[in-house]
Formats: sequence, structure tokens, C-alpha cells
Amino acid sequence: MTETIGLWVAALFTIGIYSFLYKENPLYRLSEHLVVGISTGFGIAVTYAQVLKPKLIEPILSGEPNAWLLFVPAILGILYITRFFPSVGWLSRYPMAFLMGAGMGIGFPLQMKAQVLRQLEASLIPLYETGMSWDIALGNVVMVLGTLAALIYFFFSKPHKGPFFGTGSKIGIWVIMVGFGATFGFTVMGRISLLIGRIQFLLGDWLHIIK
Amino acid sequence: MNIWEKMLNVDRRWIFLLIGIACIVPFFIPLGLPILPSAEVIGIYDHIEGLGPDNAIFVGFDFDPGTAAENMPMGVAVLRHAFARNIPVFVTAYTPLGQGMAAMAVEELTNESSADYFEYVNWEDWAAIREQGITDRAGIEEAWTAEGNSLPENARGWIFEGRDIALLGYLPYFHLVILGMSSSIASQFPTDIGGTPLEEMPMYQEHKSLREIDLAVTNAGSSACVAWITYGREKIGLPVAFGVTAVMATDYYIYIQSGQTVGQMGGLRGAAEYEVLLHDNGYSKEYGKAFVGMDVQNIAHLLIIFLVVIGNIAFFAGGFNKKTKLKGRR
Amino acid sequence: MKRSIPLAIVMVGGILFIIQYFIPHQHSQTLFDYYTEWAPIVGAFALVLGVGSLSRLHSHKIKRKAKNWQYSYAVLIPLFLVPFFALIMPESLGGGMLETMGGARTTQGVFDFTYMNIQVPIQATMFSLLAFYIASAAFRAFRAKSALATVLLLAAIIVMLGQVPIGELLGKWFPKVGLWILRYPNLGAKRAIALGVGFGMLATQLKIIFGVERNWLGGAGE
Repeated sequence: MTETIGLWVAALFTIGIYSFLYKENPLYRLSEHLVVGISTGFGIAVTYAQVLKPKLIEPILSGEPNAWLLFVPAILGILYITRFFPSVGWLSRYPMAFLMGAGMGIGFPLQMKAQVLRQLEASLIPLYETGMSWDIALGNVVMVLGTLAALIYFFFSKPHKGPFFGTGSKIGIWVIMVGFGATFGFTVMGRISLLIGRIQFLLGDWLHIIK
Repeated sequence: MNIWEKMLNVDRRWIFLLIGIACIVPFFIPLGLPILPSAEVIGIYDHIEGLGPDNAIFVGFDFDPGTAAENMPMGVAVLRHAFARNIPVFVTAYTPLGQGMAAMAVEELTNESSADYFEYVNWEDWAAIREQGITDRAGIEEAWTAEGNSLPENARGWIFEGRDIALLGYLPYFHLVILGMSSSIASQFPTDIGGTPLEEMPMYQEHKSLREIDLAVTNAGSSACVAWITYGREKIGLPVAFGVTAVMATDYYIYIQSGQTVGQMGGLRGAAEYEVLLHDNGYSKEYGKAFVGMDVQNIAHLLIIFLVVIGNIAFFAGGFNKKTKLKGRR
Repeated sequence: MKRSIPLAIVMVGGILFIIQYFIPHQHSQTLFDYYTEWAPIVGAFALVLGVGSLSRLHSHKIKRKAKNWQYSYAVLIPLFLVPFFALIMPESLGGGMLETMGGARTTQGVFDFTYMNIQVPIQATMFSLLAFYIASAAFRAFRAKSALATVLLLAAIIVMLGQVPIGELLGKWFPKVGLWILRYPNLGAKRAIALGVGFGMLATQLKIIFGVERNWLGGAGE
């Protein structure tokens, strides 16, 4: 029974939101507000159950060894709330500083490796090896030179003139356009997929007229 | 106002109606065209195919309901593959809502009404077997069936909670959680979402940190997936696979070519490819939602291309490229 | 106290953990483990900020009877009711999973119900509205006005046809060329962008660690 009611409620909201395509209306406005309330409420519930209860409250209450150390993150966390009181609001900078400084220190070498060094390394490849088909070899040339050219295009400290910077940036913008074209093609696929998902719900789960 | 101008000024709600029809009608007239899996998806499939009960993987439900239509079939497909091969799976989420998504995926795979479902055995239900000290996968199943339990006809297999799956869920600052799990998974997740201590689970006893994990598949609707590379792959060499929405997929080919991911499922197409691999290799009798969805996608893509072409024809034939402005309501 | 100490914490923490990466000694590893264990606890409290400002905003709206004030109840009621139900039915936190998994849990809690039948459909449907807008934009906005725009459109069309099975029926080469575009020119462009972003991110991090960039301090007290 609850399942059936649930399906009807879900279908009502789905159709209600699609009615927005015709005209803005109260049901859409209601949905817009509900989604904010529920997702934040869900966030509170999950955060309490997954973090505060098992990692802070329970260890302290059960008197685990070294549990007193947990007062450090607890106090830091509580300092966030000072944001609501202008006179002591500056105290909220402490938890932020704790999370940010160390977080960046930890992230710095790893991000340098993942986002920069590995990417540079992956661009330094042999363009052709024996047995390689022509399309892969051509692809390698396009990829390696394309990366370089697109980087030149984004390099604004030098005027885009002359054989290196001028030609390079021109090739760069062509490569970037192909990349954006691919993204656009995929974006269409993504958006349509989301619509298909909802139609599968309406026609399948709700009305049972498709499998 | 000439015909071209009229055409370009058509009320956009007509276009909305067209795309709606293009996405509904094909459900009733399926084309059933084959989908060929790409190397990017085969990479993930082969990696999981090489694993078994002695290995373990992470599956991240790193998306919200907004992109579930794309990400959910990926998550379900990977979980199905792992369950069928009895590979222990730790399930995590990057956002609170993702935790609900993960639970829904497991529900889909364990629901008796769905084809090829898995019979879920609660943690408490096989306590007697654990007390006998049996922890290996084959031994557990043997003892379980010896107790008089038989697999229902339409079920694929058993899932023993704590041996085959641990639903860990969400934690904030998940990138740091990934780092923390490189030392110990239980330091980050002392219990699963049902409150069962990780320390007691046989799958945790055999795989205590991310260093002992053979793959992390992140199904993401945001750049959350990159955290698995930065903090998992680059810190401890954890193999990572992506299941990402189509909108993001083109950005992440760089990680496939650099070898930072073992493969990638991009959008609904990627999920459909994985479903084809599962179906063709006997892991499921039916294709999943993504495969059916791709059939509908055919017509929708043709319609969009038609709209681009016809829009351009009207634009140039009407000479609007020379005029400064196109009059009328847009 | 108000600025220097937070800035010092950032600098010390940042430098310490950069060094930690290069010297993973047992002591530094312990420090690292404490940090990763504590960070989610500290971070969890940040949610209070979000909840606080959200409830303040909407209760003000109701008090002032601002435009569409009635809808503010649709934010406030679930904001507090959802965690309340989760607290009295903690097992339902797993979405709809636990009800079907044997045992005594056969009813669906209010919490599950809200998540599965309100939150999921609303969010999924709202995102799916974009399908209609992209179709409309395809007709109205994507013009081959220049050579570069034409290249963008052609790449998009080839990739679009390459991704759907019908593309192969129209031309055997569509999927092949589509994949080639994705794997080579697209990759080149995206790698250049990723490198740009990567360098930018590293520079910003260094600026924050060394206190050059201080916007994060916000305005609360000098």
C-alpha cells in the first residue's frame, strides 16, 4: 500500500515539475522549496548518524582510551557556530584554518602529481611505433601538438604573434573547438538520458505500460 | 515576417513537445540495435573479471538523485558483476544523498521481483556460521546451504552481509576520508550504516586498508571522482575506474590515456556497454535500463541534429547572418 | 588573535603536511592519521552554519510575509522533520534498502518515504528539464556563423551520432571517428585546460598557505 501511494506521490511531483515547461506554477515552486529542505534535513540526519554519533559521542560516552582527545575537534567544530554572533565571529576562522591549512598541505604534492606531473608525462609519448596503425599515429600527433597549441592559446603573457605563438594559438583554438564540440555532443546525450530516466519511471514503474 | 523568421520565432513549447514525443514513442517501437562495448568500458570489465572472493573492491555512489538516470545503471552493473563473482564490495558515498542512492542500488539487486536478483543474508542471520569460525566465502555458502537454506529459483546467488558487502555510506570531507582509509578503513568507518562494527566483518579482517583493495569504481555526477585519483591512486597506487555522467566524460579521457584510470563508463552509453558485457557473458538474462534507454536515445539524437540543421538553414536562408537582429519573440 | 593565529595555523599546517608527504615517518604518520580522523568531525559542524542561515532566511521571510512566504514552510518543515524521523528510526537511513532484506523491518518509514518518493523524483525531474532546454537551444542558438563554430558543430554531430547505435547504421565510420575525436583532439584540448587549472590550483594553494591570499578569513572582525 505505502509503495503504491509512494509511486503516485513521486509521479505527481514528476508531472508537476514538467508542468513548468508550459508555465511557472505553484507545484513547481513547492517542489523547489521541498528539495532544499529535504536534502539539508537528510544531510543533518546522515551526518549525525555517520559522524557525530559513532566518531564523537559514542567514544566519549563509552570512555574509550584517549577519547578525551576528541574534545579538540569537537571544540574546533563548535567554534563554527560563533559565526552567528558578530562580536566573536572571528573564532570561526580557527576550524576553517585547521581544515584548510593541513588539507592544502596534504593535497599539494598529490595534486601536483595527479593533475600536472602525470599529465605532462602522458603527453611525452612516442608518436609512432612499429605496428601502430595510421589513425593512432595521426591521433598521437594531434593530441601532443594539440595540447601544446591549446596551452599556447591560454598563455596570455606573450602576444599571440609570430610563427610560434601566433600559429600555435591559432591551432590551439581549433583543437579547443573540437574538444568543446565533443563536450556538447556528450552533453546532449547526458541531458536526454535524464529525461529518458524519468520517462522510464512514469511509463514503467508507475503506469506499468513499458518493461 | 517571412517564413524563415516565423520558423525561428516558433513558440519553444512546440520544441519541448517534439523532444517529449521523441523520448516516449521509441519505448513502444524498440529498434533493438546492438551496442558495441568500447575499450574504455572493457578495461573496467576485464579488471573486475580478474578478481574473486580473495580480492575486494570499493564502489562509490558519488552522485545525487539528479544524475541517477545515468549513474545508477553504472553502479548497479558494477555491483552485479562483483556480487556474481563473490568479490567483497565496500560501498561508500561522497554526499549524504549518495548514501540513499547506494542503498537503492543494493535494493534493486536484492529485490525478489527483479530479474537475476541476489538473496540477501542479514548479518545476524549467519551469526552461527561465524561462531563456528568459518570465514571463507565458499565455506560460508556451504554451511549456509547445509543449514537447509536453498537458493530461490530466480535468484543468482547469495549476498552475505559483512562477507560480500559492507554499506559504509557517507562521510564529510571525503577526500580526506580516502586518505584516512589508506591507513585503516575502520578508522574512518568504525561501523557500516546499520551499526555493525567493521572490525567483526570477515571482509574487513582480510582487507583492512585501501592498500589491500584491488579497485575503486567511482560513479560520480561531479568532480568527486577526481578525488579518488588524487588521494587514492597517487597516494597508494589504488587502481581507479570512473563511471561519470556524459557531461563530464569528455574531460576525463586524459586520465585514461595517462593510465590513472583502468577505464571509464561515460554517460548512459557507458552504462549500456557494461550491461551488454554482463549480458553477453552470462551475468544477466536481460539487458538493464541503460540499454533500453540507449534505444530511445537514437531518435532523440537524430531529432537534436535535425533541429540544429533546420535552425541553421532557416538562419542562413532568411539572411539573418547579414542582418543585425532577428525580430520577434525568442 | 583574530587574524594572525588563524593565518599561522594555515601556514604551519600546510608546511607540516607537505613535509609529511616526503617524510612518512611513524610520528608524522600518527599526526596524519589524527588529522584525517578529526577532519570529518570538525567538518560535520559546518553543516550547522548552513542549517542556521537557511532557517534564519526562511523564518524571516515568514515573519515579514515576503513574496511567496508560504513556501518557506516547505523548506523549514522537512528540514527539521527529516532528521527527527531519522533519529527515531535510524535503520531507515539506508534509504529503502532495509525493508526488503528479510527480518522484521517490513514497513517503510516516513524517512525512506520522503527520500524515495519526494526527494529523488523532484531532483531527478528538475535536472531532466535541461533536456528540453538543450533541444530548444539546438534550434535557436547553435549557428555555424564562422569556420570555428562550424568545426564545433561538426565535431558535436559526429560524436552524437557515434554514441548512438543508429549512427553506425548511417555510416560505419561514425563511431570510429567519434571515438577518435574523443581520444585525441578532445584529449589534447582537455589536457591543456586541465594543466592550466592544475597550475592555477597549486599557485592558489601556495598563496593561501603563505598568507598571500586571505579572502577566506571573511569579514568577521579585523
